[in-house]
Amino acid sequence: MSRSRMKLGAFLMAGGHHIAAWRHPDAYAQAGSDIDHFIALAQIAERGKFDMIFIEDAAAIRERDPELASQAARSTAFEPLSLLAAIAVNTSHVGLVATASTSYTEPYGLARSFAALDQLSGGRAGWNLVTSASELEAENFAASGLRSHSQRYERAEEFADAALALWDGVEDGAYLLSNGEAFADRSRLHPVHRHGKHFSVDGILESPRSPQGRPIMVQAGASDVGKDLAARTADVVFTASQTKAEAQAYYADVRARLGKYGRGHGDLKVMPGISPIIGATEEEAKAKYRALQDLIPDAVGVALLASYLSIEDLSAYPLDGPLPEMPPTNLIQSRQQLIIDLGKREGLSIRELARHFAGARGHWQVVGTPIQIADAMEERFADGAADGFNVMAPLFPSGLEDFVTLVVPELQRRGIFREEYEGTTLRTNLGVAQPGKS
Amino acid sequence: MLLGYALSPFGHHPDAWRQARDGRLLGFDALLDQVSAAETAGFDFVLLADRVGLRPVDDLSSVAVPFEPTLLASALATRVKRIGIVAAAVTAQHEPYNLARRFASLDLITKGRAGWMVVADGADAAREREYVDVVKTLWDSFEDDAFVYDKVAGRFFDPSKMHIAHHSRTHFSVRGPLNVNRSPQGRPVMAHLLDGGNDTLAFETGELLLLQARAAEDLVRTAGRTIKAIESAGRRREDIRILASIGPVIASAAQDMNERLELSGEDRTAQPLLATRLLGTPRMIVDQLQELKAVADLDGFTILPPTLEMGQRFVADVVPEFRQRGLINDGSDATLRDRLRLARPVHPAVSLREVSR
Ligand SMILES: Cc1cc2nc3c(=O)[nH]c(=O)nc-3n(C[C@H](O)[C@H](O)[C@H](O)COP(=O)(O)O)c2cc1C
Repeated sequence: MSRSRMKLGAFLMAGGHHIAAWRHPDAYAQAGSDIDHFIALAQIAERGKFDMIFIEDAAAIRERDPELASQAARSTAFEPLSLLAAIAVNTSHVGLVATASTSYTEPYGLARSFAALDQLSGGRAGWNLVTSASELEAENFAASGLRSHSQRYERAEEFADAALALWDGVEDGAYLLSNGEAFADRSRLHPVHRHGKHFSVDGILESPRSPQGRPIMVQAGASDVGKDLAARTADVVFTASQTKAEAQAYYADVRARLGKYGRGHGDLKVMPGISPIIGATEEEAKAKYRALQDLIPDAVGVALLASYLSIEDLSAYPLDGPLPEMPPTNLIQSRQQLIIDLGKREGLSIRELARHFAGARGHWQVVGTPIQIADAMEERFADGAADGFNVMAPLFPSGLEDFVTLVVPELQRRGIFREEYEGTTLRTNLGVAQPGKS
Repeated sequence: MLLGYALSPFGHHPDAWRQARDGRLLGFDALLDQVSAAETAGFDFVLLADRVGLRPVDDLSSVAVPFEPTLLASALATRVKRIGIVAAAVTAQHEPYNLARRFASLDLITKGRAGWMVVADGADAAREREYVDVVKTLWDSFEDDAFVYDKVAGRFFDPSKMHIAHHSRTHFSVRGPLNVNRSPQGRPVMAHLLDGGNDTLAFETGELLLLQARAAEDLVRTAGRTIKAIESAGRRREDIRILASIGPVIASAAQDMNERLELSGEDRTAQPLLATRLLGTPRMIVDQLQELKAVADLDGFTILPPTLEMGQRFVADVVPEFRQRGLINDGSDATLRDRLRLARPVHPAVSLREVSR
């Protein structure tokens, strides 16, 4: 039996995932607003046979304080769908996953946008469904403020169903018949009529059917309702975990939920994040990591940590002391817990924790040689902690370039990553079932 | 003379798809071929129109573009390098923050060649005016020189040049700032299709006004009314570009076009665009356009080829005639604003500082 193969996503971000990446001497500081930079990154990922590239999103600036915002490259970014539409026509195989919020868009517009991305890419689109947990985003859309966690997910459930119905409402060959009778074939179009609590949708999607049936659904839910939504609707889940045990627990948990929805284990790919810092020797890798860590301004690191902990002002506490006790958050509960556990486990002060966290926002960081990194990935892949990984290079393009030229061949040599793409759609490459086909 | 090319997979005649019968025409490559041809010919912009709302259940007609215009625009942007790209987006379908981001991104991706064709359904004029105001304010979130990228000081942008909207009026509550860099054109160009209904928003805020009428006489009248309306809105004629939509039927083909297409009178209410049909030889068409431009005080025309073949003929036979008369802009203008000879907007904070100085 041939060994199963891991899936790889390249989580792209302007100059790099490390919060201070843009300040690195090698960094291209204008990367975040340069489309050619992103096209080049996507092409590197495609050369490395990555399943997909992934673009995160927030519909707001990420810091309330202008002073802090002005020190972070992540304050501005391309809107993900327009970014991926441009990349779509400059790549041929790599999947294109954009984040979009169910809280601040409507199902029809979103379904139509992802259908367009799917057409432009020949079936490589994916939607990372998020419910948006920040106050700053809420304030860009209404005076009423952030909805509660359960309200957000209630809306997300109805939203996902409406989007799926719109995509499924158009069959193959619905438009432009050869018999010249009509532009569209009524028998292949299934108008959607949904009148729910949050949305009212009446009509037909303005797009031919997706070349992959419908776009791939991605989710990163970590709460109970979030994991249930993923188990019901997603093809891929992203997650952040530090230790192998945490990753295994998450993996087992989401897979155990699939049965409820009549789905098998192969229907959902679990892809935790990994931030690889690659050196020819372990020493070189460590030096690379230190060079980046030294560029983090304390205020920026602490503010980032505070935002994930949902603490108004962490700098009010002694930076060299431990985290204060805090109540559970309405925002991202899992990441808060991860930080608290990490602090306790390794006995880190606020300053140390902030620095550690700023490297990859709580994702698993592996500092070492290509062999060491491949070993670490293989171990988690083999031990039921992951179906693949979302690779978060600390610096772009060099971190991704190094991964593709040094780590990918090592994974291929071990037979745990593809040599060639299986097909041209994201669904085919991920190996998940096409809706409406068995 | 300014020239726009209205994209459609088969041509703008409602029955044009019957001639085509090729599904590939709905795909990106075929659309790109049309836009590349328009770019090479010297067109100033391509127009990606859209209808308002979702496809009605009982409407099975072909439409202007087969998929969402702003994303098509983004994809085209990386493959054609000079022509401007004006994409339609409906105010009722996007939150202002999302729309402002989409077009700010598009302006970065096109490197300053993006335009927004504002599609408002006219149902609530006050809401739409507020919508456009919010979008413009968000586009002004950063001044032209806000981004300093100072690695040593750890300063990505100058916070004194960031402006938080804090918009809170009747219809929208938007904090801001926009989380996208300043647009290369200052702000994307704002275009409107005038439909003779409530065009107040266009008169007050539009920069590129696209007129449409069935007959040339109506066009002259509409242009006159438009110019009066923008002036009574307190704006100057020279700050606005006015183009008329034309459906050219080029001679020799004119006859069989009529035979092939006039026969069926399919309802075209679902089509987003309407054009004045002009018939004749290439030279006659250019004569008519020149005369119309002078009589109606227009800046140019948006061409809506009734069929793909007519689009190709326009490029092959009519454009050289324009060129011979020195009417085509072959300059090396980088941005759509430059091509349209529209001034770059001065950031409000900058004009304020200049006033108080
Ligand atoms: C790899 C990864 C990427 C994520 N990207 C985004 C994002 O782009 N935008 C966003 O609002 N949330 C993002 N999230 C947060 C998740 O969508 C989710 O809200 C979070 O994990 C908490 O789970 P819950 O919503 O079930 O409470 C991401 C999470 C992970 C693990």
